[in-house]
Amino acid sequence: MDQDSIVVSSLSKSFSFPIKNPSVGWIKNLFNPEIKEITAVDDISFSVKSGERVAFIGPNGAGKSTTIKMLTGILFPTSGEIRVLGLDPSNDRKKLAYKIGTVFGQRSQLLPNLPLTDSLEFFGVMYDLSDREIRHRIKELSELFDLGSFIDQPVRKLSLGQRMRAEVVVSLIHKPKIIFLDEPTIGLDVVAKKSFRDLLLKINKEENTTIFLTSHDVGDIESLCERTIVINHGTLVKDLPTQELARTFVKEKNIDITPNTTFSVFPELPEGLKYAVKSKDKITVIIDISKIGVQEALRKLLDVFMVDDINVYDTDLETIIRNIYESNPAR
Amino acid sequence: MIKELSFALYAIKKNIQSSAELRTSFLMNIVGMTINNTAFIIIWVFFVKSVGVIHGWTAADIIGLLGFSSLSYGVVHSIASGIGLTAEYVSSGSFDRFMVSPKNLLIRIATSRFSASAIGDIVFGLVCLGVYSFLIHISIVQIILMVFLVVVSTMVFLAALIAVMSASFLFTDAHAVTSSLFELFLTPTLFHGGSFQGATRFIFTFFIPSLIAGALPVEIVRDVSLEKLVIVSVVAIVWFLLSLKLFTAGVKKYESSNLMTFGN
Repeated sequence: MDQDSIVVSSLSKSFSFPIKNPSVGWIKNLFNPEIKEITAVDDISFSVKSGERVAFIGPNGAGKSTTIKMLTGILFPTSGEIRVLGLDPSNDRKKLAYKIGTVFGQRSQLLPNLPLTDSLEFFGVMYDLSDREIRHRIKELSELFDLGSFIDQPVRKLSLGQRMRAEVVVSLIHKPKIIFLDEPTIGLDVVAKKSFRDLLLKINKEENTTIFLTSHDVGDIESLCERTIVINHGTLVKDLPTQELARTFVKEKNIDITPNTTFSVFPELPEGLKYAVKSKDKITVIIDISKIGVQEALRKLLDVFMVDDINVYDTDLETIIRNIYESNPAR
Repeated sequence: MIKELSFALYAIKKNIQSSAELRTSFLMNIVGMTINNTAFIIIWVFFVKSVGVIHGWTAADIIGLLGFSSLSYGVVHSIASGIGLTAEYVSSGSFDRFMVSPKNLLIRIATSRFSASAIGDIVFGLVCLGVYSFLIHISIVQIILMVFLVVVSTMVFLAALIAVMSASFLFTDAHAVTSSLFELFLTPTLFHGGSFQGATRFIFTFFIPSLIAGALPVEIVRDVSLEKLVIVSVVAIVWFLLSLKLFTAGVKKYESSNLMTFGN
């Protein structure tokens, strides 16, 4: 875990495109349009250790996919430096491809008309593995990812969950040192997501594969990644252990109260407390812990309500992440 | 390089298997293209028989022309059909997966698809060249020239396809543009060779190398013209190298996109 797998220094990427100017005629817009430049990634720096599991998150358009595409050699940076396993992805694209795996949730790498085994073999040959190595690796991954029941089916007949598992297997066929996953659980049901995350954890543990993942699914981040990097508007907002993300950014706590009296009009709450749920059977109050402590809040609430039960808990990670995104509004 | 070529052959084999899985479509494509080409040749032969010899071009030469053009088109579209899909790959963002491949980018794209109808073109091209050889009572020297010129013609077809598809990186959704540009090259490859004289012959040899794909090979075989052979070979090589340069420059402009896609 000591060596750096990825080192990114002052990385930026800009795109330019023509925009329509409504104040001039269509001929000028057609032949001499205004050009708008946007900075998708703006001077970011970070590093990832070998074997780490990193979530690279941010709202839509934050620059996540652009960054991952630069790290894998798909896009050329406008400025800055990238080293992935000691290689520059722009100049050493082919060499790097032998050492990394990629899974893009929105697209498939598989051969749709042929059985899954053919796709696995195809990628084995592409990575210059010998026949023996290919057979051995397919057997190994097939057991690990439980592909046995559908490995002989044509890819187009697979369910989405099966296909995503197959996508990961294909990207692991050559034992990459890093696997980049861009929205890998998009469209999967809860069971498929859990099994998918368990498999990634297994591969990380057994083969020390570095995992670099972008996802909008908080479950992916919570259960899979030990570290979270937050990007918004192309700049790095936070970079810290996932557990600390909750601890550092918890500004609120929740209290669920089961009242033993009913209210027609709910009483006013002191400063720092506000209602989230008001119902006959359950009241949820949010504590702003910058204004009032938990003990003080409980005391005040117990003065107001007669309770059958009370439960204090942290804000969920999704809310915390939303708060981080919202605290970095558009520039 | 050997590893690259060996992978390319393997990828072509897999693509043929993949196409053949859809058996009906596969066979219909091959038979359909052969019938289509046959109809085309009948029209030309009747035209030449009615109009007579134009600038030395006979009905037999038209058969030779279609033989060269169809065979080289078929070979390019069977082994490198994927290049023709570059505009789609780029506009949908599915070009990404070639960029993360450890193989030569152009070879990987070229062998990403197989066009079953191209087999129809190959069969038709071979039959036409066979008939042409019979009609002109071909000599050994002419056979050697013919084989060499099929290679040259294929090279120029491939170069034109690569050069045109390099435009995919310059425009958003360049599918229509690249199709039109390739048609600009393709259509004259099937035209009566005698109709290109003076300036048009110069333009369609050097700037748009359509005549190198069919008309000039026929004239070289018919007249055993070594002078023309040298010119045609040099132009084909220059076009091929130029197309590789254009493609490499285009890839540097690739901006990816996030349209959802499935499959190869």
